Amino acid sequence: MWGWWRFGKWTVLIMFLHIISILIFTKGFLLTRTELPHSSHCSDLSQSPCHSSPSSSSCWTKPAVDRLIIIVLDALRFDFVAPSSFFEEKQPWMDKLEVLQRMASENPSSAKIFKAIADPPTTSLQRLKGLTTGALPTFIDVGNSFGAPAIVEDNFINQLIQNGKRVVMMGDDTWTQLFPNHFNKSYPYPSFNVKDLNTVDNGCIEHLLPSLYQQDWDVLIAHFLGVDHAGHIHGVDSTPMIEKLEQYNAVLEKVIKELQNQSGPGKLHENSLLLVMGDHGQTLNGDHGGGSPEEVETSIFAMSFKDLPSLPSEFDSSSCEPSKNICISSIPQLDFAVTVSSLLGVPFPFGSIGRVNPELYALAVCTWNLDDDKTWNNQGQTKLEEWLQNYANVLCINSWQVKRYIDVYSASSVIGFSSEDLFHISDLYSKADENWSYTKNLSSYKHGSSNTSLPVLKRQIVAYSNFLSYVAELARSKWTEFNLKMMGTGIGIMLLSLYCHTLAIKKLNKSYGVSLLSSRDSGISFGLMLTFFMVLIRAGSLLSNSYILKEGKAANFLLATTGIMTLRYSFMKNKMLIEAAIFLLLTFIFRIAIEVGLYKQAATSQFMSSSSSWMLGISISPSLWTYMAEIVPILALIILGYFLYKSISSCCWGIPKYVIMGTILSYFLIALHWISESNILDLAHFLKGFGKNSIPRTVYAITLVQLSLLAIVPIFSKEETSNCRGSLFVKMMSILSACSSTIIILQGKQGALVALGSLLAGYCMMRLQGIEKHTVSGTAGISILGPLPVLQWSLLAVCLLFASGHWCAFDGLRYGAAFVGFDEFILIPQAILLTIDTFGFSHILSVFGLPLFVAFPSPFNQTEHKSLFPIKLFWIFMVYGLITAITATATILCVTIQRRHLMVWGLFAPKFVFDVVGLILTDLLIFVASIYYFDGVEDRIGNAKLRRLW
Amino acid sequence: MKEELEKNPQSTISSSQVFFIHVCCALALAAGFWVAHHVYSLNLVFDPTKTLCLIWAIEFPVVILLFSCCRQKPEKCSYFTAIARGLLGLPVGALLNALGALALGAPVGLQYLEKTVNWSLLMSSFTFVPTACVYGSSWTDWHRIFACTKPNGPLEFMLCLPAHGAVIGAWFGAWPMPLDWERPWQDWPICVSYGAMAGYVVGMVGSFGLALKMHAGRKQLKAE
Repeated sequence: MWGWWRFGKWTVLIMFLHIISILIFTKGFLLTRTELPHSSHCSDLSQSPCHSSPSSSSCWTKPAVDRLIIIVLDALRFDFVAPSSFFEEKQPWMDKLEVLQRMASENPSSAKIFKAIADPPTTSLQRLKGLTTGALPTFIDVGNSFGAPAIVEDNFINQLIQNGKRVVMMGDDTWTQLFPNHFNKSYPYPSFNVKDLNTVDNGCIEHLLPSLYQQDWDVLIAHFLGVDHAGHIHGVDSTPMIEKLEQYNAVLEKVIKELQNQSGPGKLHENSLLLVMGDHGQTLNGDHGGGSPEEVETSIFAMSFKDLPSLPSEFDSSSCEPSKNICISSIPQLDFAVTVSSLLGVPFPFGSIGRVNPELYALAVCTWNLDDDKTWNNQGQTKLEEWLQNYANVLCINSWQVKRYIDVYSASSVIGFSSEDLFHISDLYSKADENWSYTKNLSSYKHGSSNTSLPVLKRQIVAYSNFLSYVAELARSKWTEFNLKMMGTGIGIMLLSLYCHTLAIKKLNKSYGVSLLSSRDSGISFGLMLTFFMVLIRAGSLLSNSYILKEGKAANFLLATTGIMTLRYSFMKNKMLIEAAIFLLLTFIFRIAIEVGLYKQAATSQFMSSSSSWMLGISISPSLWTYMAEIVPILALIILGYFLYKSISSCCWGIPKYVIMGTILSYFLIALHWISESNILDLAHFLKGFGKNSIPRTVYAITLVQLSLLAIVPIFSKEETSNCRGSLFVKMMSILSACSSTIIILQGKQGALVALGSLLAGYCMMRLQGIEKHTVSGTAGISILGPLPVLQWSLLAVCLLFASGHWCAFDGLRYGAAFVGFDEFILIPQAILLTIDTFGFSHILSVFGLPLFVAFPSPFNQTEHKSLFPIKLFWIFMVYGLITAITATATILCVTIQRRHLMVWGLFAPKFVFDVVGLILTDLLIFVASIYYFDGVEDRIGNAKLRRLW
Repeated sequence: MKEELEKNPQSTISSSQVFFIHVCCALALAAGFWVAHHVYSLNLVFDPTKTLCLIWAIEFPVVILLFSCCRQKPEKCSYFTAIARGLLGLPVGALLNALGALALGAPVGLQYLEKTVNWSLLMSSFTFVPTACVYGSSWTDWHRIFACTKPNGPLEFMLCLPAHGAVIGAWFGAWPMPLDWERPWQDWPICVSYGAMAGYVVGMVGSFGLALKMHAGRKQLKAE
């Protein structure tokens, strides 16, 4: 063990540094929020200090609006709606929705344009979630059910349903994904095809106008997608965009006209409110997702069909354009859910942290008579007082609900708010609350002079508003802003770990006064330079979303490049030509497999258009295909088993032999399992008594027994190590075979093929490594080891990840693998199985297979000094770890640079999670493997019998 | 010019000859583009198959005719044998180039077959044909120039550098292909062809520069 510690301490140190830096970085980058399953109920209000409304029909607040029409125009920029006079320069896309501007200037008290400020991430799904829940959705909302994006948190659609309102939806099908069972009627249209500007919009238009005459709904949602798609494809300054806006203008004009016609007393839309809003903005190129002003600023146009007096100036935050008589106020999107809930009189969503916006609220709520003079004269004064009283009560309910959420959240979430912040929140709330009991008493007298009650009410409203805005600020800083300091620290520690890594490798090189690099004289060899170049290219490629999307192909491109270099090298030496050619052929096969995987990915990914470039124009009858698909994997298994059988028949006995025999047995069982699943042979009834879960479980059990045998036996039987049993190669073969059976059964039929491919590739690389050894066989037994084969091995590992049908996204996980051998969901075993399936070939087998570069006994290294083996082994492990760490560091850097990119949550963040998990797993595996192999390398290697293996 | 070349056997070749051959090759390339553009109004971006076909059809006769003049051991091998070797080398080189491209990720499929064939024929006339004309099937010479990259003399540099330049240029040219810019030139094999041609031209310039340098060196040697 002492010998191990000499180098092993480096692996421990590096692993430690990696874990620390990743933890710190993740805390700053991956904002997480816990979703709470609670929801608000009507009866909850009795716990609050506020008035419940007197009438029995209403719930939390008195309903002010009977019917609500929400028209969502996706990616509606603020300058699409606001008059061009608000901006420095008039652009072609401005003033196209002129009907909204006309309405706002003609009836300033009943129609208004708001600048709505969204919170990042400004992607449609997150924004819809934020709009309806009144919360700040983050990338990782803990508790999010995997796969299905349905909202589990309380939201205002849910509240509408619970309180008997009927909701109709038309347009973007994201809504039906978020709310699968909520709508009375829905007309969803696929939002998948970005190039299609019209399907969703035409569907909306088709159903929108007729629906306005129907009585079977209370809330209508129409989501138009054309502007978003036009932006993505053509950009903002383009003819399709302007055509879209003109089309919308016509539609909105019709809608408003219909609503106005129906707005008379007793008519259908007497008490209706129209909201035309965007979910987020977009940049001039049509991108969105980040937090730049262009992306965040969108608009809400609200219009009620009543004539209302305007608000007192204290609550009017609008900036006006005198020439056009249009005022524009600002509203955070956060406030939307709670304001709309209060207008409809339903309980506020449990997790909402918004404030009931006074201006939007005032557009629909009137407690004064319509025939009143609009100035705040003496009589108006009491009306105003009444309104303020009402609003203060709404804010009271609002604050109580937010306080309740904060309390429940910090009690139930592990990563809640800091205690200081919580203290400040309670302080603000209790101050406002104290005031409230006084204000309430004041108003209950009713006849107190308005001169005293008005300032009190105003003060009260300010106190509640302070509390609410403080909470919103706090939540924003916690859930929407990256902590750049922490990210920077994480990156710093990561760079430090890279420095330690190179230092360790240098130490290894020097420790025996022997340079293991193939750089005897010049210091930098061609291989080393090529390796650096390749690693740099790979690191740089992670900066672009396109390369991340096609990472498998990019890695394969680099792998094939190194393969061609090796082929050239073997031409130069006139040796191992066949191996180099087979290796290239294998990269070609892996490439086809990767393209098949990409094809699968394109079917689900929102970023990729499906391309069928790999499709061969060969038409084979489908029955033959299925037949092939059943037979070929089993054949591959048989070949694998045959190789293993050969490897034990020629040498060793004892534990490794039993382990390999066990693997062959597992292969047999796996083949049986596949046959029983298929329909070719009618074996299903034959195996019925056996149970379909028993075979996978037996395979898992065999693997466990094998691994424990391999782990325990060397401890007890150290003294009896013979030449053969202790040899590195046998150790490697036995652990690889032990792991492979479980991985193959989890990966399914492709697993056997990938395993065979990687075995062949490994064999070729091992042989090719022999060329180099041969070249210096004369020089005092020092075998050289270039970093190029290690790089090749790590690129191969990346290719294997993609070739086995995975990709770096959460929908790239093969959830089916978690249920091989299990029927019901049990978290821990399933998580382990999923990890083994995902990282099986690319990490577990790759790291354990690394010693093949030194283990293979070539006739030339017989003379080699024995003590060099541990150094060489560690050197390989270190270089492999360094390459993985550099890639992961590049991912981290690129994620930091691209943190405001459109696809940061769609592509970069999943890639980051995959790389980081992969890095820690690699570190851990290197640690385990170096301990495992270290016993072996002290024994003599190079048994003549081994040579017969291949 | 032809006679003069034939009088100078072996790898001694003057820098003016190097210049002449390279200029001719480059002009042939330019002529291919010109004909495609002005006579047939074709464009590499809009119709890569036909354009590539035109370019290699103009390029490869020029290459064969020129490089056959520099053939090794002219006393044993006639001018026409050299041309025949070049003609034979064209499909063989195309096959090797196509295999390399496929290994690196060129799209597989019947709809790409024509493009790949034409592209690899062009690549072959850049890389394979000149050496085939000069050295025929002499394994040791091929081995020295392409496997060991140890050319000596301006003639071998003239074979080696443009060929390597074309391959490396094509390799770099493949980089923009996965990007999501949705430009028509990102398709296979347009940007790869551009890269290859650029690399070829750079290689020719380099080989000419080296030839000048070597010539100067030899003169100096003589002077001493």
